[in-house]
Amino acid sequence: MAGVLFEDIFNVKDIDPEGKKFDRCSRLHCESESFKMDLILDINSWIYPMELGDKFRLVLATTLRENGYPDGGEWNPLETEGNRADSFEYVMSGKVYRIEGDEAAMEPASRLAAYVSFGGLLMRLQGDANNLHGFEVDQHMYLLMKKLAF
Amino acid sequence: MPKEQYRETYVGRKISHVTFNVDSPAAIQQAAHIQVITKNLYAQDGQRVPATYGVLDRRMGTNQKDANCDTCGLGLAECVGHYGYIQLALPVFHVGYFRSIITILQTICKNCSRVMLPAPLRRNYLRKFMNPELSYLQKKNLRAAVHKKAKACTKCPSCETLNGMVKKSPAGILKIIHDKYRTKKPTDGVVKRVLKDFHEAKESNKELTTMINSGLVVEMSPVEVMELFRRIPDDDIPLLGMNPSLTRPEHLILTRLPVPPLCIRPSVVSDIKAGTNEDDLTMKQSEILLINDVISRHIASGGKSELVQEDWDYLQLHVALYINSEMSGIPLSMQPKKPGRGLVQRLKGKQGRFRGNLSGKRVDFSSRTVISPDPNLQIQEVGVPVHVAKILTYPERVFPANLLWLRKLVCNGPDVHPGANYVQQRGLKHKKYLKYGNREKIAQELKCGDIVERHLVDGDVVLFNRQPSLHKLSIMCHRARVQPQRTFRFNECVCTPYNADFDGDEMNMHLPQTEEARAEALILMGNKSNLVTPRNGELLIAATQDFITGGYLMTQRDCFFTKDEARQLASCLLAGQDSTMRIDMPTPAILKPRQLWTGKQIFSLIMKPNKNCEVKANLETKGKNYTGNKDMCVQDSYVIIRNSELLCGSMDKSTLGSGTKNSIFYILLRDWGEEYAVRGMWRLARMASFYIMNRGFSFGIIDVTPGKKLIDAKNKLLEAGYSKCDGYILEMEKGTLQCQPGCTMEETLEAVMLSELSSIRELAAKACFRELHPTNAPLVMAQSGSKGSNINISQMIACVGQQALNGKRVPNGFEDRSLPHFERHSKIPAARGFVENSFYSGLTPTEFFFHTMGGREGLVDTAVKTAETGYLQRRLVKSLEDLVLHYDMTVRNAMGEVVEFRYGSDGLDPSYMEGKDRPVDLARVLADVRAKYLSRDEDPLDGDGIELAAAETLALDDFKTCTQEFKNELLTFLKSIAAKVRNLRTRYAQCGPLVKQLERLTLTQLVQFLRVCHHKYQRSVIEPGTAVGALAAQSIGEPGTQMTLKTFHFAGVASMNITQGVPRVKEIINASRNISTPIITAELMQPTDQEFARRVKGRIEKTTLGEITTYIDEMYLPNECFLLIRLDAERIRLLCLEVNVESIVYSICTSKLKIKPGNVHIVSEWAIKVSAEACKQGGWLNLALQQLARQLPAVVVKGLPQVARAVIACNDTDSVPTYKLCVEGDGLRDVIATYGVDGRKTTSNNILEVFHTLGIEAAKSTIISEIQAVMEGHGMSVDRRHVELLAGQMTARGEVLGITRYGLARMKESVLNLASFEKTADHLFDAAYYGQTDCIEGVSESIILGVPAAIGTGVLQLLHQHPRAEPLQPRELLFDRPEFHSSIWE
Repeated sequence: MAGVLFEDIFNVKDIDPEGKKFDRCSRLHCESESFKMDLILDINSWIYPMELGDKFRLVLATTLRENGYPDGGEWNPLETEGNRADSFEYVMSGKVYRIEGDEAAMEPASRLAAYVSFGGLLMRLQGDANNLHGFEVDQHMYLLMKKLAF
Repeated sequence: MPKEQYRETYVGRKISHVTFNVDSPAAIQQAAHIQVITKNLYAQDGQRVPATYGVLDRRMGTNQKDANCDTCGLGLAECVGHYGYIQLALPVFHVGYFRSIITILQTICKNCSRVMLPAPLRRNYLRKFMNPELSYLQKKNLRAAVHKKAKACTKCPSCETLNGMVKKSPAGILKIIHDKYRTKKPTDGVVKRVLKDFHEAKESNKELTTMINSGLVVEMSPVEVMELFRRIPDDDIPLLGMNPSLTRPEHLILTRLPVPPLCIRPSVVSDIKAGTNEDDLTMKQSEILLINDVISRHIASGGKSELVQEDWDYLQLHVALYINSEMSGIPLSMQPKKPGRGLVQRLKGKQGRFRGNLSGKRVDFSSRTVISPDPNLQIQEVGVPVHVAKILTYPERVFPANLLWLRKLVCNGPDVHPGANYVQQRGLKHKKYLKYGNREKIAQELKCGDIVERHLVDGDVVLFNRQPSLHKLSIMCHRARVQPQRTFRFNECVCTPYNADFDGDEMNMHLPQTEEARAEALILMGNKSNLVTPRNGELLIAATQDFITGGYLMTQRDCFFTKDEARQLASCLLAGQDSTMRIDMPTPAILKPRQLWTGKQIFSLIMKPNKNCEVKANLETKGKNYTGNKDMCVQDSYVIIRNSELLCGSMDKSTLGSGTKNSIFYILLRDWGEEYAVRGMWRLARMASFYIMNRGFSFGIIDVTPGKKLIDAKNKLLEAGYSKCDGYILEMEKGTLQCQPGCTMEETLEAVMLSELSSIRELAAKACFRELHPTNAPLVMAQSGSKGSNINISQMIACVGQQALNGKRVPNGFEDRSLPHFERHSKIPAARGFVENSFYSGLTPTEFFFHTMGGREGLVDTAVKTAETGYLQRRLVKSLEDLVLHYDMTVRNAMGEVVEFRYGSDGLDPSYMEGKDRPVDLARVLADVRAKYLSRDEDPLDGDGIELAAAETLALDDFKTCTQEFKNELLTFLKSIAAKVRNLRTRYAQCGPLVKQLERLTLTQLVQFLRVCHHKYQRSVIEPGTAVGALAAQSIGEPGTQMTLKTFHFAGVASMNITQGVPRVKEIINASRNISTPIITAELMQPTDQEFARRVKGRIEKTTLGEITTYIDEMYLPNECFLLIRLDAERIRLLCLEVNVESIVYSICTSKLKIKPGNVHIVSEWAIKVSAEACKQGGWLNLALQQLARQLPAVVVKGLPQVARAVIACNDTDSVPTYKLCVEGDGLRDVIATYGVDGRKTTSNNILEVFHTLGIEAAKSTIISEIQAVMEGHGMSVDRRHVELLAGQMTARGEVLGITRYGLARMKESVLNLASFEKTADHLFDAAYYGQTDCIEGVSESIILGVPAAIGTGVLQLLHQHPRAEPLQPRELLFDRPEFHSSIWE
């Protein structure tokens, strides 16, 4: 699929581990099945509630168009029909603002983390650098989610 | 006439200097028009016509509207007034010069009138006095030196006459006595000869015998003194400090009295009652004339000499009262019935001529009314009521472009708002009032060059001010916006600089009257140009209160808007100049299941509403409630703004409000300019208030009702705290309480109890934060920082807490208890002012009473503080006002003396400091540049590349203007970045191309970064002409008003308090000799060794004999009796005292007790025998012994006598605890000299002590560090440059001068400056005596004389070297040519 940066199935491991601070938001701690990526993701829990142990498919893409043409980060309120979002339940748009390694260790490592802000709802995707290929700072990005039935 | 622009060349004459001198009687007569002789005020005809030759004679001007002056013929408003004079019947002393007269008398010989100095000394001093460069201060010192030398002289070197002491007579006022024979014994031949004259009198009246010696003292009458002064040769006059060309000493004695013009002493005619009310001066003068009359009559008729003497005294008194009505020491019988206002009283004080009329004047075109807030007004606007706008006018000159508009205004007239009040036609003298008459006609006749006094209209430049004007931001320039209400309105963002609130505050507004004034006001005082305080460069005008709350609520993580809500919110930005702006909505953050925008996305529109907007603000900072983990902070309090997009974190006070450099408005201001900052603020004001209105934000009882969980938590806290306190009390009763260093057990108990109880409130506050729902209104306000703190919340909901008085628990106001509700000696929390209830649950009666006690302390504190800081500020400003930065970047005072060679040692402007005392915050700029210039297609540099590129770019010519210091700073910073990049590249080598995204820095970015830094540096170089002194004074004085009087504990030692706050600043600035808490901080040679510290402490701390003895006993044995001193070996060992029997014996012998060494014997290693001598006490040996036994314990055996106590302070924050000594008391020199103290690191907080021990530079740095410490203690930051300048001024003369009237008199030359500060009359009289010239250089003098001051835009004058014309050659005359003459002779 063109324009897709990352795709995997995640398990919700924890919800709001440090206490629920916001009524309408939850912070999910998830782990991916195939690439063993760690994910921290803020979602609007009122319109898309999640529960512990839920399994969902997550796609990060640079465009919503099926053909993969970049949409240039412009938002066109009319162009909502017939795109990639149709097959997902929960879609957010945001921006990559930081890519960094973990500060703590000094030995050579290959785990990096990408930070994305969806208008203040944050996502941190941490894992092997090869899975984060194509991530760039200031890149516009869509997050698409769909819960999987067991 | 409109106000004319000031042009230097227009002023025909310029006052170059003012010289003071004492007028001679001849000069007084010359200046006068008439001699005043009639004591009557009015002619006796009942017509109220002033008596001719009386004090109200019309020839001295007029004081009535209907009468004209007889001398110049002009009316009340035009006549300047003319002097008269009174010839005194007998000369009298002038009160102002009385001290000088005595000094002269003490200096000269009372026989030959020459200055009593030996010839060589006289020549020496004379030469010194003749030095034309002699400054005022040097002159005063020299005269004092001459006086001191001459006063000690008892025999005149030139005529060999005996001279005694001259002093003020204790018997009467203004009388001088000469005690000629004071130095001689009554048996001396000379004295005997004088006494013999009294022999006859003694014979006839035996009672005189005892009084005979007072006959040796002679009173010196003004006549005698005048005669003596007249005989002083001209050559000697310079030795008295006088200028012989201006003044002679005899002029100090009054023989003529000038009568001032009538216009300065108007008489008030009242219609109701008969007669007039005359001015005090007039009354006094007529009284003097009356006494004059009496004396003349007595003398003419040969009256009794006692009577003449009595009247003479009376004349003397009244002349003195005329000059100074507040004289002290007037006997009760002679005291005037009502105290009038003398000449001195007219000059001095706040309402006096100097401060009230010369330094500050009343103005026209001003207004004052109540203020109210209006978030719809832009930041730079002020809403002006139409009523005000119709009265304040601006004289606008007509020219073709505004002719039509002004015609319309003239037609509207004074009663319709955009109108005009007057028209002045070109060439005509008087102006036409537009209320009456044919306005249409006047409007039609309007032509270019006429002046229309039009109403204030929208967009006019006005000055807005709120008292107290403590800093330059208290008066700023706004744009007027005329509105139909009755109050001044402005955006709440501007409250902070004015320190205004809307509880009934009033403010003033002024309308500048010339184009030049408008331009200067707008550029220099405009509030857009003054968003930042020069105190430390922090933002002062920024969002406040509701705007912060709104911004906070809007940017919460769970704040979502539907399409309609989002668009409505965004559309509230469309107002004012943005009405037609395009707004580009961002892509909604959530697209499915439904489109939702987050608050952060909408908030971002404030900075960048559409794509065409160029603003790209970048900010990354911690918020108020930051918990950790950077952007993953659970409280969402880590703000990242990237290219004007709020990516994470909720905005709060630290990112929106004033007093910070991390606010987005600060970033906008610094990176994009004031226009964008102001506009952003206004957008936030509109959006936040709109949002908060729609959302609703209220405060009710429910918000402060604690839940069950909270009550439980609080009760648990109280229980734990109380039981702990009970434990301490129990321990203390048992005596097992561990004492804190330097404290008694009682003090220790108080300290631990206080800290325990205050921690209860803090823990309760924490519990509140934990238990309250995030939407709780007080919690929102506290967390956003808009209003209130966690303490306020905890007091309302959980627990009011310990009430402190003077930093201690409530003291015992009754006998051994605080209130009769408690047991005596009770130490439990409740008995000492602990309030366990909250405001919600209600206070018990005793708690309420304790709370009022705390409240009263706060109120008293504020009242005292305001008065104190006001005076402090005035002194600071007066002493620093003249300091200006000159074009050579030196800071100089009015006389051109250098105070600092380079302002703040780097010549940078404090208001442009973006980092901490540095012009650029490098890390921030780098992040900003990285985000702004993405340069996607460029390959990032590696570590070596960065270093190389940096070095090469900095070597370019563009960077030549930077100092090397700044370049080095840039280089080291970039080197650290390079190291980081290098490190990351090696660590994540296997990550492939993604590694280049880490710490990405391209060449373009690097060069841009350096350019931006360079630009910022260049911008921060201070402008010549800046009134750096005034800025420093305001920057130090203004925070003083916010300081509370409290003492702080000294670092590491609980028992040692150091004065803080306003009292401490006062001490430092006064350069007080005795400060209230002198503390020497002594570093040790072995800082980690506690035992060593204890030994050094033993050497320093004063130890008396009594402290180390077990007993001192009187021993009466059959053959001898003595005192036995038994030393306490255990204690000496414990205290690590370095004493032994010999040293103690030595101490006893050298003490003040005067014990002979023979009487002290060493008995053993721990015992001393002291025997007494029975010479005193009438030979009673046991009395002598008892007295000795009382005195001996006070003998100092070890330590420094000036030291009160020394405490070992332990610093255990490091891994290895370090020790140092805190020594209370003076004696820095001795402490440094003590073995074991590291003298290089030992300091004192006593400035004068440091000055005497280490010198002036050390004193200067102590002043700086001490002031900074006080400011930091109160959480206020002041740029170091300001403090350095103050310290520089205090130490510029080589000694520490306080900012007091004494210090100021030694810093300044100018008489007018000193007179406008304090002791007005003294300075003026002194100046007249010395014939001082004031060269109008400083600010105060310039203001007094109405000359533009050499400061700010006035530092530079246009200098034009006019080409010198050829000297005129006498034209050759026709007949000088010989050829025309030849014919005659030939």
